[in-house]
Amino acid sequence: MIAATQISPATGWAILLTLGVLWVGLGFLWGRKAKNSEGFVLAGRKVGLALGSATAMATWVTSNTTMLAPLFALTLGVWGMLAYSTAAFGLLLFAPFAVRIHRLLPKGYTAGDFFRLRYGRSGWSIFLIITMIYSLSWLVSMAIAGGALLQSLAGIPYLQGMSLILAVCVLYTLFGGLYAVIGTDFIQSIIILVGIVIIGAIVCTQLDFGEAYQHLSLHQPSLLQIAFPAALLAIFNNMLFGFGEVFHNNVWWSRAFAMRPDVAPKAFFLSGLLWFPIPISAGFIALAAGPLGINIADANQTGPVVASSVMANAGLGAFAGILILVVLFCSMASSIDSLLAATSDLLLKDVHGGLLGRTLPEHGYRRITGAFIVLVGTVTWLLALPQWPIIEVLFISGPLVGSLIWPVIAGLYWKSLNRPLALLGIILGSALGITAYFTLGWYTASLVGAGVSMIFTILARFASPRPFPAQLNT
Amino acid sequence: MFSESFLKVLIVLALVWTALGAITLLTLLFRDFRNRNLW
Repeated sequence: MIAATQISPATGWAILLTLGVLWVGLGFLWGRKAKNSEGFVLAGRKVGLALGSATAMATWVTSNTTMLAPLFALTLGVWGMLAYSTAAFGLLLFAPFAVRIHRLLPKGYTAGDFFRLRYGRSGWSIFLIITMIYSLSWLVSMAIAGGALLQSLAGIPYLQGMSLILAVCVLYTLFGGLYAVIGTDFIQSIIILVGIVIIGAIVCTQLDFGEAYQHLSLHQPSLLQIAFPAALLAIFNNMLFGFGEVFHNNVWWSRAFAMRPDVAPKAFFLSGLLWFPIPISAGFIALAAGPLGINIADANQTGPVVASSVMANAGLGAFAGILILVVLFCSMASSIDSLLAATSDLLLKDVHGGLLGRTLPEHGYRRITGAFIVLVGTVTWLLALPQWPIIEVLFISGPLVGSLIWPVIAGLYWKSLNRPLALLGIILGSALGITAYFTLGWYTASLVGAGVSMIFTILARFASPRPFPAQLNT
Repeated sequence: MFSESFLKVLIVLALVWTALGAITLLTLLFRDFRNRNLW
């Protein structure tokens, strides 16, 4: 086996510090555009198509995309790559939602505004619990993945690597708010796309497709099978998980509010189109592991190990390590910064402003928003310290977010609903989905959560529906 | 079973599509910058 470590800790540090200084410097520069709290939190609500599309795409390219897509290919074959790509449909479908969101909440700030006005305090509380579990587990899982990756690729101790990635993201989000997040997302998305193409192209040139196919069909035929029930279930499960993640989370709602109304639907649709091929481009290299005799000791490191091994065979060892590190660092930073901003916005607007009833004074908004960004960063760091297998919590949150799909659609498009029944559907969908996760398998959890919630939401449309409160701009 | 040619076309198409994504974003950036529509 060729080890994944291709670069020295000194090189690793140099890359991280260079990128870190760049992101923080740009964050500081772009943060000067924020003249008030709305500018800081929502980038002035005037984001254009290029930056809007790039930030939506880059946020959705997480360490999970670049690390788990190869794992999906390794375990579920061709269908595994395609299953991961279906997460793009969440972005594509959010495009029409963005039109409706701008029409219903032209001055909205967070997804919490929508849940509070549509589903009352109970629905708002359920949403906040689910979204906090999901957002924190996503955030912590990326911090852990970042630390683990730096350790395996560059030999940087876990604690130092994890702390550095988190500190860089906290600093530039703190200095620049959503301006910094969106601006850096653009550069990061270009680096991610170009890096994936270069790595993929090198692997293609090193791989004899005919031999690789023969090897797979002989030794791992299930990876090429068209009828692969677990993989087919994974497609629908992943798609629904993606719908639930995108439809409910403030990461996407805050971007919809930040973009100009005419730009938002186009940007989300384009970001979905741009995102769709990435799991295939990043994932297919795992199929080369068997044919090239690459031993995968840690399945979570499949992508980096195979890519660096193949590139090392091509005489590009050091370059491979640097390129893989840069691409993965960008894919993590582009999601961590977005989650830091969106989660701290929720705490600021929905908890500090909503549940606690505090006002946000314009003259001191930077201090208060900054305090929430640092708070979210610190909690993430503390939870990432023990390196718990928190990725499990993220997967378990699949049915939770899946059970929010239909209530979001109903709240956006319907005029009346039996709200208690719809909320009961969220709770039962979450509970039964988690049960399915442990009893049937992970690939059924989101299906069950979304299915149960769908039945209850449709029932709520016809069983004693009441008009939604008229606080929205319907 | 998926054929070899299907697998090859799928991978090449994904890589070309990904590359086109980068070109699209850079083109849009140039257009938005020229029209002062960046943000």
